[in-house]
Amino acid sequence: MLNIQARQEGSAAIVTIQGKVNFEVTAQLRDVIRDTVAQQQPKLLVINLAGVSFIDSSGLGLLVAARNSVDKSSGKLHLCGLPAQVKKTFDQTNLTNYFSIFTTEQDALRGA
Amino acid sequence: MSKGVVLVVDDEAPIRDILSFYLKRADYQVLMAENGLRGLEEMGKLQPDLIISDLRMPEMPGDDFCRQVKSSSATKDIYFMLVSALDGSMSKIGGLNIGADDMISKPFHAQEVMAKVDSAFRIIAMQKEIKRQNVVLRGFQDRVNSEMELASRLQMGMLPALPGVAPGIRYTHHYLPAEGIGGDIYAITPLPDGSTAMMIADVSGHGVTAALISSMVKTSFESQLRLGLDPHAWAVGMNQDLFRNTLAEQFATAFLAHLDPATSQLNYVVAGHPAPFLIGNAGGGKPQQLGGKGFMLGIDANLPFTSQRAAFRAGDRLVLFTDGLEEVEREDRTYLGEEGLMGFCSSLPADAEQAATQLVSQVQAYNHPATFSDDVTLVVVDRVS
Repeated sequence: MLNIQARQEGSAAIVTIQGKVNFEVTAQLRDVIRDTVAQQQPKLLVINLAGVSFIDSSGLGLLVAARNSVDKSSGKLHLCGLPAQVKKTFDQTNLTNYFSIFTTEQDALRGA
Repeated sequence: MSKGVVLVVDDEAPIRDILSFYLKRADYQVLMAENGLRGLEEMGKLQPDLIISDLRMPEMPGDDFCRQVKSSSATKDIYFMLVSALDGSMSKIGGLNIGADDMISKPFHAQEVMAKVDSAFRIIAMQKEIKRQNVVLRGFQDRVNSEMELASRLQMGMLPALPGVAPGIRYTHHYLPAEGIGGDIYAITPLPDGSTAMMIADVSGHGVTAALISSMVKTSFESQLRLGLDPHAWAVGMNQDLFRNTLAEQFATAFLAHLDPATSQLNYVVAGHPAPFLIGNAGGGKPQQLGGKGFMLGIDANLPFTSQRAAFRAGDRLVLFTDGLEEVEREDRTYLGEEGLMGFCSSLPADAEQAATQLVSQVQAYNHPATFSDDVTLVVVDRVS
């Protein structure tokens, strides 16, 4: 089961994802991210992955696409809360170097 | 043109005549019979859309008649209205239980029957439309299925023929797409200078789109081979090809390698793909995962890649796989992962085909009773002298 929540904090939008991110749920997640970016046009989009137990390549693809779409509107994408299993997937694909990754949501919002 | 054909079955002529009068006035074509047996005869001449039948009749009563109509595949879809006096001979529920679609209680008002007939014909029209759409859909589904089967055969044909032989190696594969066709692809290609190129890739997602991209990956790999012997250059070129020719969210993880049998040198690039396991001493040694990591292909046009080197000597074995083989989670949430898969690799038979079969069945047993939800590819490559 995937649980996605989006909220606004100042000029930032925060999307919190919980559960397993795979091919079956990417459409649902894509819609939330697209709507959040379109409606709020946030300067900063924070995606909190703390509750994600697993992410597969389609999930990674979605995050890459999210970064590219935020880039286009001169915004920023920060990820935070990567659990060990997810962190490993990011390391293996070198995406740790592609995204701005923070430990906590507060850090991600401050965006140091 | 009539609105439809109604068969009226009743042993009392006045009732047949009243119903016939109202039905004809409302533009229905009417057939008549005095009992179930005669009714069946009438149906042999022209199939009605709806039957209004009395329950109590000599020769064949309405319940027997209804059962006969509903038990034949040719007539079971005819809408059947059973007319019965509410004297205990047949409850409404009893009538519906023998297959009648509606019940009319005697005595009846002709207007009530006509309202029910009109309502029945709306249902009949809907059923006809659904049937028509089903035929169209089934035809479409058949076409899609046969296209998929062709595509699946074509994709299997893109894989190297087995048993595989190339300079310095012998190899075999197990290829298990999740949906008939998939986004996994691999290639092992002998090069003109006596060396061997290897590629295994996994396109994001699965199904038709992933399969299309996987054939693009293979074509891109083959065109890179014509330009040189350096896996790093292959990765850069394939990344640009993929970035240019795919949409957002579409990319591939890949392992690209060049083996020079003369020096036993393996030069390789890990592009977001699980690094293969290297097993020394003809598979008897301890498996070790090759080092190195890197970006997936197709994310961005100018990503940096790094190449690595390893010795791949006679008697060594290389296990190439896609993540579908290790991203296996059981119901109790224990997860196989690369470590688990590597554990399975520590005691494989010397024969490559037997080793591949054993490894896949070990993972399947781990995953049981679930089946693979992702495309799975395993290639066992044995280094020969």
